[in-house]
Amino acid sequence: MNALLEVSRISKRFGPTIALDNVSMTAQAGRVLALIGENGAGKSTLLKTLSGAHRPDHGTMSIDGQSYRPAGPIDARSRGVAIVYQELTLAPDLSIEDNIMLGRSGTVAGTLLRSRQRQRVQKAMDQVGLSSISPKARTGDQSVATQQLIEVARALVSDAKIILFDEPTSSLPAADVDRLFQIVDTLRSRGLAIIYISHFLEEVRRIADDYAVLRDGHSVGAGQLSQISDDQIISLMVGRDVDDLFPAVPHEIGSARLDIDRLTAAPVPHNVSLSLRRGEIFGVAGLVGAGRTELLRCLFAMQPTRSGTVRLDGRPLPQRINARRRAGLGLLSEDRKTEGLAQNLSITENLSMGNHQRYSTLGCLNLNARSEDAKRWIEKVEIKAQHPNQCVAELSGGNQQKVALARLLAQDAEIYLLDEPTKGIDVGTKAEIYRIMGQLAAQGKTVVFVSSYLPELLAVCDRVGVMSRGRMTEVRVTKDWNEEELMLAALAATEDE
Amino acid sequence: MKRAANCLLLFTSAMLAATLLSGCKPSSTSHTGSDTVRLAVIPKGTSHEFWKSVHFGAQKAATEIGDVEIIWRGPVVESDTGSQIEVVKDMITMGVDGIVLAPNQKGGLVDAVDEAIGEDIPVVIFDSGLDDGPKIVSYVATNNFKGGQMAGDAMAKAIGEKGNVILLRYLAGSESTEQREEGFLDAIAKYPDITVVSSDEYAGDNATKAKEKADQLIQLHGETLDGMFAVCEPNANGTLEAIKNAGMAGKIKLIAFDPSDALIKALRDGHCHGIVLQDPVQMGYLSVISLVDSINGKSIPEFQSTGEYLATQDNMDGEPIKQLLKPELME
Amino acid sequence: MSDRPTPNHRARWSVLLRHGPSLALLFIIALFALLDWQFGSGRFFSSRNAGVIVNSAALVAVPALGMTMIIIAGGIDLSAGTALTLCGTVMAIAFRDYTIPADQAGAATWIALALALGLGVGILCGLINGLIISLSEMVPFIVTLGTMTIFLGVGQVLAEESTVYPQNTHLPDWLRYLCYTGSNTDYYWFSFLPIPSSALIAIVLGIAVALLMHFTVFGRNIVAIGSNPLTARLCGIRVGLTTTWVYALAGVFVGLGALLYFANVKNGNPSDGTGKELEIIAAVVLGGGSLSGGRGSILGTIVGALIIKTISSGCTMLSIPNTYTHIIIGVIIIIAVLIDGLRNGKPKWLFARLASG
Repeated sequence: MNALLEVSRISKRFGPTIALDNVSMTAQAGRVLALIGENGAGKSTLLKTLSGAHRPDHGTMSIDGQSYRPAGPIDARSRGVAIVYQELTLAPDLSIEDNIMLGRSGTVAGTLLRSRQRQRVQKAMDQVGLSSISPKARTGDQSVATQQLIEVARALVSDAKIILFDEPTSSLPAADVDRLFQIVDTLRSRGLAIIYISHFLEEVRRIADDYAVLRDGHSVGAGQLSQISDDQIISLMVGRDVDDLFPAVPHEIGSARLDIDRLTAAPVPHNVSLSLRRGEIFGVAGLVGAGRTELLRCLFAMQPTRSGTVRLDGRPLPQRINARRRAGLGLLSEDRKTEGLAQNLSITENLSMGNHQRYSTLGCLNLNARSEDAKRWIEKVEIKAQHPNQCVAELSGGNQQKVALARLLAQDAEIYLLDEPTKGIDVGTKAEIYRIMGQLAAQGKTVVFVSSYLPELLAVCDRVGVMSRGRMTEVRVTKDWNEEELMLAALAATEDE
Repeated sequence: MKRAANCLLLFTSAMLAATLLSGCKPSSTSHTGSDTVRLAVIPKGTSHEFWKSVHFGAQKAATEIGDVEIIWRGPVVESDTGSQIEVVKDMITMGVDGIVLAPNQKGGLVDAVDEAIGEDIPVVIFDSGLDDGPKIVSYVATNNFKGGQMAGDAMAKAIGEKGNVILLRYLAGSESTEQREEGFLDAIAKYPDITVVSSDEYAGDNATKAKEKADQLIQLHGETLDGMFAVCEPNANGTLEAIKNAGMAGKIKLIAFDPSDALIKALRDGHCHGIVLQDPVQMGYLSVISLVDSINGKSIPEFQSTGEYLATQDNMDGEPIKQLLKPELME
Repeated sequence: MSDRPTPNHRARWSVLLRHGPSLALLFIIALFALLDWQFGSGRFFSSRNAGVIVNSAALVAVPALGMTMIIIAGGIDLSAGTALTLCGTVMAIAFRDYTIPADQAGAATWIALALALGLGVGILCGLINGLIISLSEMVPFIVTLGTMTIFLGVGQVLAEESTVYPQNTHLPDWLRYLCYTGSNTDYYWFSFLPIPSSALIAIVLGIAVALLMHFTVFGRNIVAIGSNPLTARLCGIRVGLTTTWVYALAGVFVGLGALLYFANVKNGNPSDGTGKELEIIAAVVLGGGSLSGGRGSILGTIVGALIIKTISSGCTMLSIPNTYTHIIIGVIIIIAVLIDGLRNGKPKWLFARLASG
């Protein structure tokens, strides 16, 4: 096999931190390479090095046997390397066409250029299956999935030979994931080399031919996917054998605690009734936009409800966030970057936010008690940080999520509303979060677990409910569900209407 | 890490102390030699030509007397009382031998002047009065009330002793302009056929604001208006512009107080019908002379007028008006 | 994985930068002392001048304490200047019309009432700002831009577009000499400690606010709101209520600042306030306050006020024209913000170059 892209013995350090250490990798034309690794393993640094955003300290890269040393992203693109980032990098107010052509040279205004440009744009849009949308439409009006495809089109229009995908599916609903995969397939069949970063092994299996695993900045394994099992990949990633991805903590389900009666808000959820029990982990499945997040936010009074009641232990709950918090509800936000955490504050500060009553008298803080408490939580949930006063933004995604979770635990809530708690974090941390959920249930707490990742719902929850178009369409005990049925339930109800 | 910062702090302080101890004291003594008299002259602001002429007069007196150094310093923020108080205090700190001050507000500067006198620094007030209290050496100024009366009489003459006129005030609390305003109203009261249609508008401290105000007033009184009196230079400049813009130049008779190039030209063209003049050079000159005399133990009259004059189209090319219209400036 | 300068690397910078404002102040004092020794009167580095500078700095620092809280909470108050002179005007009116001479029996009650009235107006102004901002969820910049002119207008109406002169005999001596910087020790609060009373007030208030910010739940909630209001809301902090309190509390400092202003100029002129808010904000920014919220320091703000006043005093002593004084202060503000940016990894291109080069 001839390698299109060859990376050999690349190193990159930031101050004392070694992000990449002698990493080698090859990508072949007409094949999809899955780049696998836990958060902090160096995947993004490698990707940024490939796309010209970083320069390696040592090592060489070559494309088609010719030395490749991009001076910057534009240089990289001219050499045929394009990147589709995890977070969308489109300008929402520009038209699709303008976004696709953004940063391309030769786009000086003029009718001739403009029409030729339109042809190129149209061709690229056809290739990613966006032929039905006008190139002149405003980008911000498109769905997240469409915007993702616009990013792909942007890569195509520069005649890329190598396209890098940085966790493209983490913000996509399942149906759109399929569409993206079809396009990746087409690109592969046209002889492009694809490098694909993902946390989801199932996804990797579906889409990729080869794999390369990074751990702590080292390459620890590479080869063809067909010759390795999931467990083997995971043990490569975490550096230890993971006997159980989903550690089970035995817990007993008790009496009903939280009664939700015909809860309705605009536009979703609609008429949701549920009874959640002591010591229960209740999973909520559904497509993005089905109203799962909104349901949790209504329960936490973060958004107004139109009708219906919520009772805890038989007592109706008042419509104020801090009243519900005091009553024993706690919410883990799905968006830890903009809502879940104050990124520019320290771990201690984030942990104590809203929990100050634990170490204050008459509004005056005991700073010692506060930092002791912070240290305790950092140890308890194993947050990897240099010191408790480290800024949260400096932590990896998984550790940030642990900070947010620890704050919730410090709140000592009775009902835990967890919105996508494992989104965008590595396998090892996921397992720890499952274990914490199990322990909470074992203590008699109630956990509501919203997730788009069906295997974890099926592995962790006692019951799973499916939401669709704002309604809780079906609730079953977990063992009565399987992935296909869950998916069908989420989709089928949509088609009913 | 913390230690490093503390070290740095220490180091800086040490450097500071060292520079001070080994400092270049000898070179500064020549400045503060006992025979040189250092006087601070503090105007209300520094951007108007009027003050530059005062500066010229002060410097002229200093040169004449010899061994007198003039420290010229206006408030950092123009027409801000607090800022002027800071300057007075800084001058006290510098240990000047005397202060010549044009107070921004008659009340606000009283305690600062008191503080200076408390530190044995004599103070001469010029241009604009100070509230009673401090034992100042002298008050050197135009008799603004009389100047205002001259303006009133000139106005009456210009409009034929009957019609509607407007008094456009400057800023509230400025003693000198208030005197002019009162003088003007006092003079106008002698003419029964003249009506003051507006006398409660303040034009502010710059020409732009004054023009806006004048625009509004002309809009309001328009056709029936015969004359306007603007009590100081920026006011008059703004008012002149407003009158020209309204196409009423020459029809609305403008009487100004203090000259500017635009106003002098307007006087020649017949767009302005009289400019009351003060003698800023004399003001600076007399203030410094009085202060030095007082330091030397002479007694000085409480109030000294520097005279007021009326420039008209007819007398503008003769002396002393020609000189007063274009007083010398300190560059 | 990390694409920002790593913590250790930054720690070295940040220690220096944390003390940045204080170091800058020392440097500026040293510089002016040296220049003044060489070219000026040699009186810059004197205890009298220290008194004069701390007095004028106190006039800025006291309202700036409130502004610091607002800026840490992610807001801004453009109305601080005119609110301050509005309070001053109200006090002046009270001392003109409603008090009795200070040496008469029972005058203390009237004086207390007059001052309380001024302070009350300050709190009211802050409360109005806070309520509008938290209830309407409008941007503080716009809201306070509006109230800035409203307070100016109200002041002008009350003062009848003029300057209000109180009756001097109605002012108690302690108020009269609040900003006294002369050599008569009888006029200071402590005759053995010739520090202007205004500065003592500023120090006491500064310590109080610093304690409030560090050691109370309210203080930490302010930081939380400024840093990320969404997170604060999620954590059950009542964002709107806290914001309102912050503005009202800042109003207290505006009122106290007005007391110093009134004691300094001894009259009330509502239009004096325009422009003061910028000096106040500059002090906060020089002290390391971030206009995007979440960051700011009480010590820094006081140092910031000192820096501004040291420069203007030094320039006067050296006979540097006022025009240049403005330029110097402006340049220093920009440099301060630039250095502050370095602490946060800005400008990005520079750090990208450092990291890859």
